[in-house]
Amino acid sequence: NPIVLDLAYNMIEFPAIENRM
Amino acid sequence: PLEDLFTTLNRHIQASAFDNVVKFTDQILAIAPDDEDALRCKVVALIKNDRVEDALSAIKSSRKQLDDFHFFKARQFPLLFCFAIEKLAAVQKPLNCRMLDGNGKKRAYCLYRQNKLDEALESLKRQERNDETMLLECQILYRLGKMDACIEIYQKLQNSKIDNMEINSVAALVMAGRSS
Ligand SMILES: [K+]
Repeated sequence: NPIVLDLAYNMIEFPAIENRM
Repeated sequence: PLEDLFTTLNRHIQASAFDNVVKFTDQILAIAPDDEDALRCKVVALIKNDRVEDALSAIKSSRKQLDDFHFFKARQFPLLFCFAIEKLAAVQKPLNCRMLDGNGKKRAYCLYRQNKLDEALESLKRQERNDETMLLECQILYRLGKMDACIEIYQKLQNSKIDNMEINSVAALVMAGRSS
């Protein structure tokens, strides 16, 4: 069976927290 | 103070040290239980560490503190917490779209990883459609064996700049018994 890569994983990103530092 | 914790937290995020990200978000949340940035970072770090169950728990546990409707009215930026958002969606439709952007998506992704595919699709239906949600939808449809629907969405995504997407499109075509 052809494998489908979990591309959605890469779409999940950390929020920007620079303004909290 | 919090600023120092966030500075350290950011260093761990940059280093992809996800265990440490969880550790520091817990420290922040011990001081500031309602801190959304910390909660978001925690959920993302748990997902990145393949701790899908824990990520869902973190999302669920945030429900109570975000239940307050006025809280949402005051801040019109994307929120992570889908359970609260679902509740909100029933009450206040106009605020919906932007809020859904960050969060239900993560819930849908966690459900996908748990192989709760119908629930994941259901969760995605409440999302604004964009490249990210369509990509996840494709992966879910693929697992469900709904190749025609899967291919249809992949075709819509053809012009997007998602890396490796052709691989998945071809896989779906092959599974559907079509040659590409
Ligand atoms: K997959």
